[in-house]
This record gives sequence, C-alpha cells and structure tokens, in this order.
Amino acid sequence: MEISLTDYLDEIDGKILTENVNPEKIFVNDGYVSDLLSDVMGNAKAGQVWITIMRHLNVIAVASLTNLSAIVFAKNMIPEPTVISKANEEGICLISSPLSAFVLAGKLYKKLNL
Amino acid sequence: MRWFKADLHIHSVLSPCGSLQMSPKNVIKKAKEKRLDMIAITDHNSMANCRVYEKFAERNDIKFIYGVEIQSAEEIHILSFFDEWDKAQEFDNLLYESLLPRKNEPEFFGDQVVIDEHENIVRMEEKALINSSVWSFEEVLKKVHDFGGFAVPAHVDATSFSVLAQLGFIPENSFVSALEITKKCSAEKFLSQYPNLRKYALIKNSDAHYPEEIGSGFTEYYLQEPTVEEIMFACKNFKNRKIKN
Repeated sequence: MEISLTDYLDEIDGKILTENVNPEKIFVNDGYVSDLLSDVMGNAKAGQVWITIMRHLNVIAVASLTNLSAIVFAKNMIPEPTVISKANEEGICLISSPLSAFVLAGKLYKKLNL
Repeated sequence: MRWFKADLHIHSVLSPCGSLQMSPKNVIKKAKEKRLDMIAITDHNSMANCRVYEKFAERNDIKFIYGVEIQSAEEIHILSFFDEWDKAQEFDNLLYESLLPRKNEPEFFGDQVVIDEHENIVRMEEKALINSSVWSFEEVLKKVHDFGGFAVPAHVDATSFSVLAQLGFIPENSFVSALEITKKCSAEKFLSQYPNLRKYALIKNSDAHYPEEIGSGFTEYYLQEPTVEEIMFACKNFKNRKIKN
C-alpha cells in the first residue's frame, strides 16, 4: 500500500521544516528506523520514510544517495538551518514530531496496513 | 622543557568535507601566522596526505604529527596520533581495509584529493572516507595502542559523531587518558555536567575544514620534545609534563 506523506503527517503531529518541498507529492510505502548513517546507506530504499534522531548534515547526503524523500526527526529534534536548506535544495521533506521513534514507526506501520 | 602550542585536528583536501583550499601551503602559512609549534593532519579514515604536509611543515619549523580521525562502527570519531611513520602506515593500511565498502560520490560528500609535494593531484581516493570502519570503539582504541599510537575520542561534547552522543558514556578503558572538547566548549561547564570525566585531560583543537579556522582551537603542552609520546605523558600529568588550555 502507498500513502501520501500528508496523510502520515496528520497522525504524528508533524511539523514540516522544509518549506520548498510539497509533502502532497511524496508517496511512501515503507519506513526505516536507524541512527547510523552507514546502516541507512547500505539498507534504506526509495519510498521509505526515515525515522531518526540524527541531525548532521550528512543525513541529507545519505538520504539523497539512497533516494529517500522524507525524514522524520523524533522527539522534537530540529536540525541546524544549514541542514534544512540543503534538504530544500535536494527536495527532501524534513519533518519534526514530538513522538518517539517507536510510536512514529508504529503509526506508519498501521497506516500502511502492514 | 618548554610549552608547545598545538592544533592537532586539521583536515586536508583529502577529507570530503575539507575545503580544497586546505593545501599544504595554505595550511602551513596559517599555522605559522597562528604561531603553532605543532600540527597534526587528521583526515577521515586515511593518512594518505600526511607525508606531503609533513614536508611543508618541516621546511617551516613546525613539528608535524601523523594523525587520522577514525570513524568506528558506532559512528564515533576518534583522533589517533603516531610518532613513527612505518607504524602509522601499517595501521593506515589495516584501517583502509576495515572501512565499509562504498565508493565515494563526490557530488554528495565532496572530493577526496591525494596530492604530491608540488601540490599536484596524484589521485582521487575512491573509497568513501565518510563511511565507518567495521572496528568498534574499543577495538579502535586497542589497535591504535598496538601500533604505538595515542587515541583521543574527538569532540566529545558534540551532538554528532561523539562518544557521548553515540554511547551516552565513556567506557572504562585504560587506553583513554584524554578527550577532545570542541573549541567553543567551556571545560568548566563540561565537567560540571559530567563530573565523572574529571580524570581525563581535556584538549582543544580547531577541527579546521577551512584555512581561516586553523589555530582557532589549540592546547599548549609542556614537553621535553614535541612528540606524541610526550603529549601522552602530558595528558597523564606524567614526569612533570602538563597541558594548558
């Protein structure tokens, strides 16, 4: 099953950090939870939402490399402005949510009817 | 014995995130300006440019230390320093083999330039140096020690790639006697937040990626001679050696 990122945002009280990226045009069919860049580099796949607490600039590089178009920062984590502007450039939607990675993943799992 | 002013965390053009302006000439010029007695080049996961920068440093009476910033499997950055090139090179080869296999993609991460003493490009390093080694934090410490090196967990107060960010604590390990804190970190505030880290020497460096940053963080070491072994003594307050931030 595939859903629009907007549908997921409503579930997680998600705040969009990247104003130039339209979440309505992003569709997701899976998720990936990880706080290690090397792990994401080797295993994440296009169509997944990446749920993490990492905020380094290389997060954006790794997302571009693996064709991820949405990253949710758990526990209200917000990256530096330079990270957000890089994501805007790359067309990657950054979302900050007050929920924990566990709850974020659970809600996505349910929404996708997995 | 005398004081040596040292900046032991500087990236060269080999680091994908390092500016291409970090040529040996520019690095040494700035180091001279900042009156540094000692510098170390610490690229991510490789010492391929050390020898060239050493030549430029020596010509300008700056003591060069062979260094590298290793990324462990837990994505913890660890500075490592060596006195002997043979050992450093042997270690560097093992480290290179231990890196997760992925090619660098310069458009995402930046160029990885290996140069010669005339500042010509010899080759572009193909393996992604931003990647991790398969060695764990404690394996790195042990291996560095086995090759006669001195390992210092890097920027421990930072929220990314630091031992405190990745593990939340510093494992008891006899190989660690010093921690690097970022140049803007107040040692006093840091220690009041982590009182159990008082037993470690706290050193500062610039972590320069651009020439103008060189020397913006430094530590002074009271030593007999400017070597890694003496720096290690200073960090342990051994034989009257000491440090000052």
